[in-house]
Amino acid sequence: MSEALRNIKTRRVVREMSGEAVEREQIEAILEAARWAPSGGNLRPNRYIVIEDEETRRLLRLVAPGMFQRAPVLILICTNWQVVAQHHLPAQDRALLIDIGTAAQTMMLAAHALGLASGPVTSYSKEAVRVILNLPAHYSPEMFICIGHKAETARPGMRAWQPITWRDLTHWERFAT
Amino acid sequence: MQPNWVLKEDEAIELLALLITSARIQMDEPAHYGPLRLLTATERLSSLIEARSSQKSRGFLQDNIERIPEMHMLMSDVEAYTEGLDALCRAVAECLLRHSALENES
Ligand SMILES: Cc1cc2nc3c(=O)[nH]c(=O)nc-3n(C[C@H](O)[C@H](O)[C@H](O)COP(=O)(O)O)c2cc1C
Repeated sequence: MSEALRNIKTRRVVREMSGEAVEREQIEAILEAARWAPSGGNLRPNRYIVIEDEETRRLLRLVAPGMFQRAPVLILICTNWQVVAQHHLPAQDRALLIDIGTAAQTMMLAAHALGLASGPVTSYSKEAVRVILNLPAHYSPEMFICIGHKAETARPGMRAWQPITWRDLTHWERFAT
Repeated sequence: MQPNWVLKEDEAIELLALLITSARIQMDEPAHYGPLRLLTATERLSSLIEARSSQKSRGFLQDNIERIPEMHMLMSDVEAYTEGLDALCRAVAECLLRHSALENES
């Protein structure tokens, strides 16, 4: 199996991280990978905010009930609504959400390829995050990617709702009439 | 007698942040995430007060801290999850009794 495929298959969300720091170059490599994620219309409405400061991370965790990790690095994917307006994209255009998804997965795969652990978080109060980070009005906080090192004691992730293979998710060709 | 303070003001505010933001995000999330958020708050409060708690509560609080993160991962197994919640309910009732006059009467 190719290294890229193995990387895709072996990445798992990590919710328990050790205190070990992440190198600056590793963070930059992850951000550069996100730059190469596909983007609808190549508009690039995503902006990335990197949070390493310990107290800021602590406060963010307090308003993010879905953030179980104590990650040394948080990358917040934001939508820059000035870019959206410039290109006259409707606010509900699904490409905006899909762009967040392509960036998130690209960053998590990059982190995994670098030997780092990661986990996405969308369960937080957007308004509280806005206040804590003093976000400009034209940025909306869409998804955190927690980056760090997996704790040795980390438990396995969430159990699947049912066993699933790619075949269960796939249909070939036209549906029968 | 000195009151048995187990929570500092900063810590209480942290718990409030968790409760308030949980209430908000629950508006957008599946109903079964409700128990998850309440359990997260239970675990957080248990961690905050465990060190200053009395013998009557300590074991119960320690169990919450250990058991709840494991329970989160069981969410998709409704039966096991419900059984875990029932076990917590029994444990909290026992803890209530240890704090109550009833226990001392019997
Ligand atoms: C849109 C989206 C939002 C998510 N939000 C959270 C979250 O708030 N907290 C969390 O712990 N995991 C979150 N996850 C991670 C999923 O629970 C995880 O991907 C899933 O359980 C499968 O695990 P795996 O990626 O390790 O295979 C999110 C994933 C996605 C795609």
